[in-house]
Amino acid sequence: MKETKTASEPRGLTIPRSNALNEDALNDQRKPGSDVVITHEDIDRAHDRERVSEMRAQHGFRPRLRLFWLLIGPGILVMLGENDGPSMVSYAATGARFGIGFFVPFIALTFLMACVVQEMTVRLGAATHRGHAELIFDRFGPFWGWFSMIDLMVGNFLTLVTEFIAIRAGLGFFGVRPAVAVLGALLVLSVALMTHRYWTWERIILGAAMFNLMFVPVALMTHPHWGTVGRALVTGRPLPGGLTQETVLVLLADIGATVTPWMLFFQQSAIADKGLTTRDIRFGRVDTVLGAALATVAALATMLATAPLFMHHMSAANFEAAEFAQALQPFVGHWGAALFALGIFEAGMVAAITISTSSAYAFGEVARRPHSLNLPFKQGRAFYLVLLVEAAAAAGLVLIPGIPLVYIVLLVNVIAVLAMPPALLFLYMLVNDREIMGALVSPLWANVLALGVVIVLIGAGLLFGVSVIAPNALALVGGK
Amino acid sequence: MVKEFNAAAGAEVSAEVSREEFTSVMTALEPDQIVSTKEHHHCPRRRLTRTEMLLFWALRIYLVFMVGVVVYQIWTSVR
Repeated sequence: MKETKTASEPRGLTIPRSNALNEDALNDQRKPGSDVVITHEDIDRAHDRERVSEMRAQHGFRPRLRLFWLLIGPGILVMLGENDGPSMVSYAATGARFGIGFFVPFIALTFLMACVVQEMTVRLGAATHRGHAELIFDRFGPFWGWFSMIDLMVGNFLTLVTEFIAIRAGLGFFGVRPAVAVLGALLVLSVALMTHRYWTWERIILGAAMFNLMFVPVALMTHPHWGTVGRALVTGRPLPGGLTQETVLVLLADIGATVTPWMLFFQQSAIADKGLTTRDIRFGRVDTVLGAALATVAALATMLATAPLFMHHMSAANFEAAEFAQALQPFVGHWGAALFALGIFEAGMVAAITISTSSAYAFGEVARRPHSLNLPFKQGRAFYLVLLVEAAAAAGLVLIPGIPLVYIVLLVNVIAVLAMPPALLFLYMLVNDREIMGALVSPLWANVLALGVVIVLIGAGLLFGVSVIAPNALALVGGK
Repeated sequence: MVKEFNAAAGAEVSAEVSREEFTSVMTALEPDQIVSTKEHHHCPRRRLTRTEMLLFWALRIYLVFMVGVVVYQIWTSVR
């Protein structure tokens, strides 16, 4: 036990229980005689929580609005973060290849699935104040913990590669050289971290994530027929061309564009880092639903924007991210095409930041190293290094010329779908674990919805397996 | 092991924590939100039932098999 402050404590104060300044405020659950070490991270988080308490104590519309502003963040970030480079390319490829008929309601449905899943992480994070990786290791042991970490790290790295491909491709439209684009993106990522403050970081990335809606004006420029869009949304149409190997790949890519393992780890860790408590769960839910609504609008807009390519029977097979923008130029003009390319860049940039952060959180939780965006670099060296090294390695790979972008991004999304069922089982068991959740365990309806999502994901994965191994067998399930 | 994880470890003292900061932390944060407290109290490990273990293994095998399918698809596409 530490009795005195030592040279190894940055801005830290070790308070032996007997000498505590405010002993009554200390947690009775602590072991007798154990110390409380107040850290920089605690102080920053406490300041954020003080503002929340202040607003909560006031009545009226404005304080409620301000409270909402203080508490939102992780949900919107995770949803718009998942509208990343590969996702937007998947939506663009979907619109260009199949039009909107079947996929408008399908994509809206995938975001509903994302809401069901992410709501569980809100409750888990607020109830335990711990990250997802930490809980898996603690409750299920290192054997299963490492499996889940390997799934996360491999998936995150592959996805990060595609984010930098999107960044390169988006800026490529404006003639920016690949090396400059990628290094610039790494610089932006590093600058965002220099705030050393979760709140500031979150607001910066939230602001950047709003540019995901840049696809909306592009969609409007194509003058979509709203009656057709509305009918597609409400009635749903048969899958164009029937169930083929290609349509199964696109179906899975679109699911993987909304529901992926990194989202579980990121949102739960961000909620713990932000300091949300069980009193904030309602706001966390609104935050998640709002994020899903914004992300759905951006996703559908991307599909609508590229739908003219389908209507004019243009092949999307060889389009890469920036080439979608170039192909759209005859329909939306130079400014519309430029907005589309900027949107692809933004999607890659925001996701590169959130995904690398989710890896760093998970690493810190598992390696028992400090893991918070509130940490100064010196104290959170391992956390920041993991984040930066992972991003830099992915960025380096992207500079290899001749990478088939569309194919890779579709496959990355497919891998995300395949890795989801095991990740969801951990989440399902944790959120139903009365020992850590208490009264906040999932109600029956939430469990039914969660199991529905798992069944859909496993079914989609198996369909993909059949389409690859025995394409002819697709005929048995209504394919061609 | 727990002692090794101290958010304050490995760096130098830059400033004292003031009484105000200490009070702020103690009143604004829930006890198990304080980093050092969290590190003293890890969630205990739970025993997995046979069904849970079976589910874990089944999904693990599913994932390994499906990754094989993806690798096979990439291989056939490259060829």
